[in-house]
Amino acid sequence: MSNSNKQKADVKSLKILIVDDNEQITKMLSTFLELKDQECTVANDGKEGLDIIKENRHDVVLLDLAMPEFDGYAVIKDLEENNMLKDRKIIVFTASTITQDELDGLVDRGVHSYILKPIDIDVLLSKIIKAANS
Amino acid sequence: MTVTETIEEDMFQSDNPITELNRMLVRYDMTRNQSKVYLFLSKVGIKTASEVSKALKIPRTETYHLLSTLQQKGIIFSIFGKPTKFNSVGMEESLEILVNNEKNRISELEMGKDSLIKLWKIIPKYSGNDNEEQNNKFQSLQGRNSILVKLEQMIKESKENILVLGTEIDFKRFYFTEFAELLNKTKSDLKILLDHSGDMPSIFEDIPPKKIKKIDDKNREDFCFIIKDDSEVIFFISNKQVNDMLAVWTDSKTFVTTLRSLFSLMWKKSHYVQETSAESLLGSEITYEHRLREIEQEKIILNYLKENFQLLDSNVGVKK
Repeated sequence: MSNSNKQKADVKSLKILIVDDNEQITKMLSTFLELKDQECTVANDGKEGLDIIKENRHDVVLLDLAMPEFDGYAVIKDLEENNMLKDRKIIVFTASTITQDELDGLVDRGVHSYILKPIDIDVLLSKIIKAANS
Repeated sequence: MTVTETIEEDMFQSDNPITELNRMLVRYDMTRNQSKVYLFLSKVGIKTASEVSKALKIPRTETYHLLSTLQQKGIIFSIFGKPTKFNSVGMEESLEILVNNEKNRISELEMGKDSLIKLWKIIPKYSGNDNEEQNNKFQSLQGRNSILVKLEQMIKESKENILVLGTEIDFKRFYFTEFAELLNKTKSDLKILLDHSGDMPSIFEDIPPKKIKKIDDKNREDFCFIIKDDSEVIFFISNKQVNDMLAVWTDSKTFVTTLRSLFSLMWKKSHYVQETSAESLLGSEITYEHRLREIEQEKIILNYLKENFQLLDSNVGVKK
């Protein structure tokens, strides 16, 4: 199997959840991912996202940190308390001003990795695939 | 009539601090007349039962009874002689005695609780109706104390979230109670929506500002409610005709869900108490740089989609 075919096979198998209160981003990102043959689910608030994460198995979860009411930190805290954080591949996807120490702290707690906005869309996809296959 | 007698007669007749004190002492497990007698003795000094009765216009038999009860409480004492005279313990000491009496009474009730529950469990249940409706209970609460007891119970039992909505005036009634302190200590997710002006000290001043938002809707009706764990709510009934506080507690799912939705909507469009107007304009918790990065991300995805849809369109065109 060629590399491009292998990547396509990996891509097809992915179920991705996007948790972000920015509806523009979730709409456009899900359209982009679906164009790339991904199965995409969207939650526009943390509480809804948390329920979906708990009830379903996604290959990757893209989680925004700054959301009103129930933010990304609250989602991480809840998953951590329920021993589910390390069990799910959570990628923090944020535009927040956050220090490297804070990001490393999140990874130490069990978050898979982080992606800072803005990011090139192809790089984003490759990071998602990499995370899903890790 | 002497000057002293005039003062004695006027003590409870007009609006003066004594009348207010009399009203306040009732909270310390005293009746109005017990409080009157105590205040009279504490301001006028040693008097016989007959003099007290005459000055306060309370029947003599009742006066003896009142004096005896106050002696039992420990806040007045008798002076041996014929006739017996009475005097009061100082106000500060009396208040301490009254508070301690209440504390002792509560600890006795606390101790008796387990025995009561044991006895209750011994008695078999006579009604066979096990399918009692679990939700949709409504309880009317009248008076600050009964509302406070229920509120404290809700806060202590809460495990998930507590949502508070109301005005400073609504909650000012709970000054000098544990209400705000309990809210501050709760491990549940606390959210308070308030018409906070910032001009006067708030009952919630010890609560982190990140948990309090200002109600922006100036035209809202005066309503006030507190929701616990999305399962119970107390809502206050505004009644200007009645001085006493009125509230209704319910676990009705319909009521709780409706008020919860209302709270969420208002929370979403409100701003934190310490937010600057620039922050308000940009959206809570989100900085200018944050917004720029989000917009940049949107632009990147949008450009990609635009290019790809153009390609798709042109492909379709070729096929045609």
